[in-house]
Amino acid sequence: MLSPYTVLDLTDHRGELTAMMLGDMGADVIKVEPPKGSPSRRLAPFLEDAPKPEQSLNFFSYNRNKRGITLDLQAEPGRRALLTLVEKADFVIESAEPGEMASLGLGFDELRKRNPRLVYVAITAYGQDGPYSGFAANDLTLAAMGGPMSLQGDPNRPPVRITVPQVWLQTSAEAAVGAMTAHALMVRTGEAQFVDVSAQTAMVWTMLHGMAAHAIQGFDINRGGSNLQLGTVIMPLVFECADGYVVFGLYAAAIGTLVHWLVEDGIVPEEWIEGEDWLAYGRCLLQGMPVTYPLEETVQATRRYVRRYSKRELMERGLREGFTIAPVSTTADLTRFRQLEERGFWLQAPLPDGREIPAPGLFARLTETPMDVRRWAPTLGQHNADILGEKLGLSDGEIAAATGIIGT
Amino acid sequence: MADQLPFEGLKVADFSWVAVGPITSKYLGDHGATVVRVETEGRPDILRVAGPFKDGVPGPNRSHFYGDFNSSKLGLSLDLKNPAGLDIACRLIEWADVYFESFTPGTMDALGMGYEKARSLNPSIVMVSTCLMGQTGSVSHFAGYGFHAGAIAGYYDITGWPDLPPDGPWTAYTDVVSPRFISSLVMAALDHRRRTGQGQYIDAGQMEMGLQFLAPQIIDYNASGRLVTRNGNRSETAAPQGAYPCAGDDQWCAIAVDTEQQWEDLRRAMGDPAWAGHDRYKDVAGRLANHDEIDGHIGRWTEAKAAQDVMELLQSHGVPAGVVQRSSDLLRDPQLAHRNLYHYMDHPEMGNIPYTGHQFNIRGYDSSPRTPAPILGQHNGYVLKEILGMTEEDMIDAVIAGAIA
Repeated sequence: MLSPYTVLDLTDHRGELTAMMLGDMGADVIKVEPPKGSPSRRLAPFLEDAPKPEQSLNFFSYNRNKRGITLDLQAEPGRRALLTLVEKADFVIESAEPGEMASLGLGFDELRKRNPRLVYVAITAYGQDGPYSGFAANDLTLAAMGGPMSLQGDPNRPPVRITVPQVWLQTSAEAAVGAMTAHALMVRTGEAQFVDVSAQTAMVWTMLHGMAAHAIQGFDINRGGSNLQLGTVIMPLVFECADGYVVFGLYAAAIGTLVHWLVEDGIVPEEWIEGEDWLAYGRCLLQGMPVTYPLEETVQATRRYVRRYSKRELMERGLREGFTIAPVSTTADLTRFRQLEERGFWLQAPLPDGREIPAPGLFARLTETPMDVRRWAPTLGQHNADILGEKLGLSDGEIAAATGIIGT
Repeated sequence: MADQLPFEGLKVADFSWVAVGPITSKYLGDHGATVVRVETEGRPDILRVAGPFKDGVPGPNRSHFYGDFNSSKLGLSLDLKNPAGLDIACRLIEWADVYFESFTPGTMDALGMGYEKARSLNPSIVMVSTCLMGQTGSVSHFAGYGFHAGAIAGYYDITGWPDLPPDGPWTAYTDVVSPRFISSLVMAALDHRRRTGQGQYIDAGQMEMGLQFLAPQIIDYNASGRLVTRNGNRSETAAPQGAYPCAGDDQWCAIAVDTEQQWEDLRRAMGDPAWAGHDRYKDVAGRLANHDEIDGHIGRWTEAKAAQDVMELLQSHGVPAGVVQRSSDLLRDPQLAHRNLYHYMDHPEMGNIPYTGHQFNIRGYDSSPRTPAPILGQHNGYVLKEILGMTEEDMIDAVIAGAIA
């Protein structure tokens, strides 16, 4: 889809997914790293626990469909090479601190002089300007400042983030939307565009109906842990099973089905089936109307039942009988989930150590312009000769200077 | 330039519902497209009956879960099971450049509005079907609420405390991932169409989009057998990190030291207390091993201070810190105000309320939501007459036939 376009990816872990998404959709992406490599090459997890630039699985995961070069942007030859690349590029994506690129002479105002139709995407924690734009930030503090933490975790403990860092992934996926929106505007106006992406704001959006809640209902939503608060009723959602946990709600059609299972296993007597209008059970609880079997009793019986079965057994039976039970998938469960196998989601990825293992595949199926993985993450400076030599026509000495191998 | 919108003139027929589809079409609508959001009165979008409701009073036109994600759209109510309603739906598909739907796989085919039909009506249409599991596979009909999706896609297991059952992320986690991927895809597909005239069909499985954010951990498991799980707010490579109690009811400030320098800066910001100078805290390994102890010390330092003051003090020393903000905090956050995030507009039933704007600003272009969310069937007449060019007589016939319901 995007095969006519070239993307220069100057980011680290805060934006590498942006350029990868454009690459997955067909763009020619050139990953530009500092001489010592992208900081994301120093992010765990590492293959064989070895914190080496070619062993970071974080870097490996978010740099497919890119060719890689190194440029020393702190020095003139590296900057000159970049400016030449910019002339032929359609998108520049960067994740430097506000003002950092401009201080190198590589800010939007400089680059647009070289390329008046450039789309320039800048990814930062809080945005390019404003009272917090200079704040130090990371995954945890942005999950706090953007709001989702206030809604997560057990109410008797501090609020929590999602343990696997998500902020920069959310932000960089959003930056791809920003890039494509600005591209549409550029096509319309013929003018270069500057896109200012804020991670804090990307986190605000992950609150969904929580983000403006106070202005609407007059009060904030509070975290409920593993329970769902429905008015005055606290409904548990997480149930321990034989090999982990499953998640479901005890209301509507679901509970009518479940009561039959409880009877079948002798956990509750048969009169339970007729003893309650189960379809109306949730509504009665919500409205404080009388029920035959109090919620606490129903929950206890359910817990006893669920403990006897595995995640998979519960989900499969639910699927057959129209009652959605979700397994709490561990990473291991995900790799074995039959739906993903049947859809051919996994791709065989060549690890830096020579092994091939299944890796998450492409994010959608398209009939006319299917996405593909044309190459996996580059090694540091892998395409210096191809791009700086053949494409830009630099001599070996000039390449050495631009990539910071020799001083000038 | 400022008066040109990126997607002005683009026509979108949005038959999707709940979160993912409507969020995606909100992007297009806020950025200039004409979006017709189709609903059925007998079975309105379930977000209309989910809160938050204006002033806590429920009503189909009072939910801002629906409202916030349906700004800049026209509302049409249509009974797709009625032949006259289906006929109008087909005319909308003929009119549209983009067609969204998010029902259980096979639903649109059964109604007579699947991709083959859409393409026969409009050969260059870009159609998107999105559901949790994708259109194919033996579990494709797995459907549920947000907590089901968050659990099966792997996000419950990694949110919460190691000694407790999983808490899970807030609401439907895959719903806050997928629109970013689908919007990018649709915009790219439209650019391809602009250049080639070719439309296409996009099958966007929300779980497959969600798993992109766990790629390193999945690859790590496949490579080494190592399993990641929930660990409160802690990191495996840096310490101290956590949410610390502050003055007031349930107030917290997140503090997360990434580097040795930041640990030194934190000590200085706290006034260099004696405990922090202890040998066992001098490197990351020591701080990770004694994290509970450190948390106790930091908590005693923060607990009498306002969260905002803790953040500002630590930031003045270069330490990453941030208040755990709620909606009320976000609505008065000076940085978000600087970015003009919330736009207040007058809704016919809800009055003057904030609509959330976008997560990126394009310089020189105001990407505000343009109109408040439609009340159910608000633009029936406009859509039938001005967009589909129906005559008064045709419209009356359609109403009598039960199409508009």
